[in-house]
Amino acid sequence: MLVRVRMNSNGTAAAGADARFVTTHWSVVLVAGRTDSTRAQNALARLCQTYWYPLYAYVRRRGHSPHDAQDLTQEFFARLLEHHTLAVADPNRGRFRSFLLSTMNHFLAHEWDKVRAQKRGGGQPLLSLDLARAEERYDLEPADHASPDKLFDKHWASALLEEVLNQLEAEYQQSGKAELFAALKQTLTGTRETQPYAELAARLGMNETAIKVAVHRLRKRYRELLRVEITNVVANPEQADDELRHLFAALAG
Amino acid sequence: MDTMPLCPSCGRPLPATAPKGLCPECLLKAGFQTEAQPTVGDPAAPKPPPFVPPRPEELARHFPQLEILELRGRGGMGAVYKARQPTLDRLVALKILPPGVAGDPGFAERFTREARALARLSHPNIVAVYDFGQAAGMPFFVMEYVDGPNLREVQRSGKLAPREALQIVTQICEALQFAHDEGIVHRDIKPENLLLDKKGRVKIADFGIAKLVGPAMPDAALTGAGEVVGTAQYMAPEQRERPLAVDHRADIFSLGVVFYELLTGELPIGRFAPPSHMAQVDVRLDEVVVRALQKEPARRYQHVSDLRTDVEHITATPPPKPPPFSLPVAPPVPPLPAMPAALVTPAAHPPEETSDCRILPAFILAFFFGWFGAHRFYVGKIGTAFLQLVTFGGFGIWTMIDWILILFAAFKDKKGRRVAKWI
Repeated sequence: MLVRVRMNSNGTAAAGADARFVTTHWSVVLVAGRTDSTRAQNALARLCQTYWYPLYAYVRRRGHSPHDAQDLTQEFFARLLEHHTLAVADPNRGRFRSFLLSTMNHFLAHEWDKVRAQKRGGGQPLLSLDLARAEERYDLEPADHASPDKLFDKHWASALLEEVLNQLEAEYQQSGKAELFAALKQTLTGTRETQPYAELAARLGMNETAIKVAVHRLRKRYRELLRVEITNVVANPEQADDELRHLFAALAG
Repeated sequence: MDTMPLCPSCGRPLPATAPKGLCPECLLKAGFQTEAQPTVGDPAAPKPPPFVPPRPEELARHFPQLEILELRGRGGMGAVYKARQPTLDRLVALKILPPGVAGDPGFAERFTREARALARLSHPNIVAVYDFGQAAGMPFFVMEYVDGPNLREVQRSGKLAPREALQIVTQICEALQFAHDEGIVHRDIKPENLLLDKKGRVKIADFGIAKLVGPAMPDAALTGAGEVVGTAQYMAPEQRERPLAVDHRADIFSLGVVFYELLTGELPIGRFAPPSHMAQVDVRLDEVVVRALQKEPARRYQHVSDLRTDVEHITATPPPKPPPFSLPVAPPVPPLPAMPAALVTPAAHPPEETSDCRILPAFILAFFFGWFGAHRFYVGKIGTAFLQLVTFGGFGIWTMIDWILILFAAFKDKKGRRVAKWI
């Protein structure tokens, strides 16, 4: 069930660093207050595009059937993007993650029942949500006894990391270094001792020094992109550290 | 049910939905980290060295009394050359510090003071300082030349056996204690500063250099490459925050890091596993290492010599054996003097002693005699008692009676008469 996408930027780093930075800030959305401004609209759409799966998983975890969850998720995002008002006084607005979760809870509690009878079919779909594959992916998840909220945070962290890695990969692909990325991406998680550089050097036909430099650059760029993405989903940069720590705790728990 | 692959770094299971197949926790953790500082002599550091050491020929002009032979090593703290003193016909090491270091006004005085303090450190495990000064704006030391690798190079070429590691640590402790007694803290203990000579002796180099080159230098001159004074991974926590307010216990922490690395090949970062979990080392060493690596200085060893004592004790005593699962076999109960030997069962004795085939017939004979108390007719009371003891022939009632009567005989009654006439 692929819904046609309508967004200005294509959501990847190929759009250029500036464009990406400006259009994806959650703070941009908040400041706009109403999502009828195109920039805010795009920002919100881009954010939802990245982080919809954690919501889907949350809904499923709350007990809804796959079919219901798909309808729910789609309806939720459609309303979110169309309603134009984010001026609701909500302390959770600080972080996109909390905002999304609390808005979804509200939706589930109050609106879904009224709406489910009259869910819209076509209209102006604004997001590309691969809901069919969402269920497949949900199936592949390992059993986890955490609460739905906790699980949501874990999925969120995963989604964030996936987005950062996608951007990183896109950058490398653009400069023709796709193979290098594929070979070196393991070094993002390992300390030096677990990734023997000699092996990598042999595989890529580079000398060890060049490998070390390449790894250093990769990790540095990864950290930069991670920082940017985390800052994207909070209202102001001071919250970024806190958010990072929260995600770390969520994954560890 | 398939078993899930594990993350090669943290060992946690890696679900199929992990981002790009990488462990999310490790990814996030990597996002926190700052890049490890390049070590001295690491040619792969993508940054240029902070200053370019002069070529030996260029240097020769400034040191007429020396024959500059070759550049031995370089790093953020300067460069070391192998040189020769023709007058004394010996090899020396010439260490020069970057010119930028001498910029601030108080430097000359500090340098002199430090050099004199170092000159007091005359110890077989400390690289000796022969001379110091400034030449062409570059502070320099003339030091003992150590013909051998540093510990970093040794580790690179192959891991040391735990026994060797312990010997090295013991020597370092001796040297450090000596320096601490002189009121000198090294502040930069790390494998690059620990040299090994041909005889396998450890020599600690660069004592006090960290303090000397430390805070007063302009950042640009030395840290152009982003290197900090004192290698971060070996620095005690209190040293990172307030570098000059540390005491000798910072050296103990650094030693702990080196020790851990020697035993396991890894650095103790974050929540690290005890050495005995990672290598075949005596489990008692875990405590030593962990204590040296306490974040709070007050919880570490307070003196290096204490660390050394513990290590030496562990080396000298055999490792504790794991306790047996069954209760240990009770040793044979030694016969009490008043107790008839009859009560000591033969089974309590180890089989080896009864394996001699001559014992069995004697035993049977003694038993026979004992049963009937027959030997009383031959050897008298005392002899009887003795024989009964020795030959265990005494299951018989006569033996019991004999013993009781002997006891009575030994204790005369109140009237001083023997209790029984017929004994």
